[in-house]
Amino acid sequence: MKKFLSGIVLCGAVLICLYPFAWMFLSSFKTNREIYQPTLFIPSDFEPDSYLSLFSDQYISFLSYFLNSTIISGLQALLAVMVTAAAGFVFAKYSFRGKSLVFGIAILVILIPKQALAVPLFDWMLWLGLQGENWALILPGIASGLGIVFFTQVFRKVPDELLELAKVEGLSVHRTFLLILPLVGPALVTYGLLHFILSWQEHLLPLLLLDDENITLPIALAKLRDSSHRIPEAVGMAAATLSLLPVVVLFGICFRKMKTALVHLALS
Amino acid sequence: MGLEKKEKASIAWLLFPFFGLWFVFWLVPLFFGVDLALQNPGYIPEYRDAFEGSGEEYSGFQFNWMDSQKNEIEEKESVKYIGLENFSRVLADKKFYKALKNTSFYVFGSIVIILPLAFALSLSLFQLSRIPRGFLVFCLLIPGLALPSVLSTLFYLFFHGRTGALNQYFVVPMGFSPVNWMMDPLFIMPSLIMQAVWRWTGLVTLFFLCGLEAIPRWQWEVAKLEGVGIGMRVRKIFIPNLWHLALFAIVFLVVDGFASFSGAYNLLGGSGGIMDAGLLLVTYVYQVAFPGGSGRFDFPGAAAMSLLVVPITAFILFIVLQSRRRWSIR
Repeated sequence: MKKFLSGIVLCGAVLICLYPFAWMFLSSFKTNREIYQPTLFIPSDFEPDSYLSLFSDQYISFLSYFLNSTIISGLQALLAVMVTAAAGFVFAKYSFRGKSLVFGIAILVILIPKQALAVPLFDWMLWLGLQGENWALILPGIASGLGIVFFTQVFRKVPDELLELAKVEGLSVHRTFLLILPLVGPALVTYGLLHFILSWQEHLLPLLLLDDENITLPIALAKLRDSSHRIPEAVGMAAATLSLLPVVVLFGICFRKMKTALVHLALS
Repeated sequence: MGLEKKEKASIAWLLFPFFGLWFVFWLVPLFFGVDLALQNPGYIPEYRDAFEGSGEEYSGFQFNWMDSQKNEIEEKESVKYIGLENFSRVLADKKFYKALKNTSFYVFGSIVIILPLAFALSLSLFQLSRIPRGFLVFCLLIPGLALPSVLSTLFYLFFHGRTGALNQYFVVPMGFSPVNWMMDPLFIMPSLIMQAVWRWTGLVTLFFLCGLEAIPRWQWEVAKLEGVGIGMRVRKIFIPNLWHLALFAIVFLVVDGFASFSGAYNLLGGSGGIMDAGLLLVTYVYQVAFPGGSGRFDFPGAAAMSLLVVPITAFILFIVLQSRRRWSIR
């Protein structure tokens, strides 16, 4: 009975999570009139016109925005993993004077998210002359407090004996760090993915910091939506589908690694 | 471990990239913000000249930020610093309180719904065997992977309006009259919260599920042997083991909630919705800084507003983290 009940709850939850996305995918083949009847599920035909119009840059230069988003999020995630893992390693495994103060400063970043600093950040970027460049978006996102907390926890689980062994062997701190990195591979992948997704979804900062020709996907999609009286809704649905696809595939590939890392973290 | 000089140097090198970036892209903007908040909105520094000249770029909606005060501002354009005037201007602004109230309601509402829901879902999943469990969690995660603007678009097209699915599948069959979700001021915040729940419940469920899987086997065995009731089980097994994960989820949701922008921005086209019922803080800060149309850029006002929010989030997070001490004693 208990199993039956929880089964029903789960099925309901999964349905609510998946059905709208299935509708989204199918809607990319529909006409406007069909889309405005949300209870209609299957389109009358499967002409891939909306996808073709996106690939041929008919309304917006979708491919270049897509590429831009990929570069920005990918680079930011990669750099964030490297930078925060290095700092987290030091915080977890070495003690030095003023460490708790330095750690406290690093955590402080969580308290003031970069969206709250958006306007001053924009002003600062104008002053630096970086406004409009991709770097203006990539650099501020790298130093994340969440990453420090995550990697400090991760490296705490690495046994101290390994470090002592490395020290006996006369390895430098850098070499030790590089040797230990593969041991926490799943954690690196997990954090990289989370960071990638958060940066992929970021809307406010690219709106402020990037030029009009050089935007990322969230803004391109908002643009498509704004002009939906000129552009068929199906094009927006196709763009939405294409923006979701790579993230889902990436996640699907790395999901098992991610779960291992999280369970390992939760073991206390 | 005692440290040699060489070790100290390489530790410094490992920490340097983080703190370098932290300094340039967090601390400096923070000071920039404080400095900006003390400035006269009418004063335009040289480096911003070119940008403000280009004008129309950020238009899209009309908005008048305290029209009555505009004249006063124009008079003293040459003065750079005006002290705490911007702060008092923001504190006297009714819309700011409205935005603050809406955001708090949004954050609180989404946390109160997400945590129990995610807990129930993770318990249900925990009873399944390994493979369907992983598959179903993955399905629950998908809304969290989509862009918030996609969620809004879907929400708008799919759920919205009289003929929307939410009305057709849920509201009408239960015997209520259809709700006009985005047009009725009473229902704008609930729809925003619904979106947040839809988006994040999967991720929190994943956290809880991993926490449940990490609970040592002997604790279950002991509970089984002793025939412990459900209340005891919750207190002695679930809360101590899952509390730190729940805390992490709360911190994440608070930060994300106070910073949320995209969903409401897309759904309401950059405005606050009917009667500002869906005006969130970041949206309002954005409106003040980039009024679009005929309004003028009020960076100092926006900076003052963002700085006033910082103590509030800091206080909430402090309270949340304090409760950690109370529960972590096993």
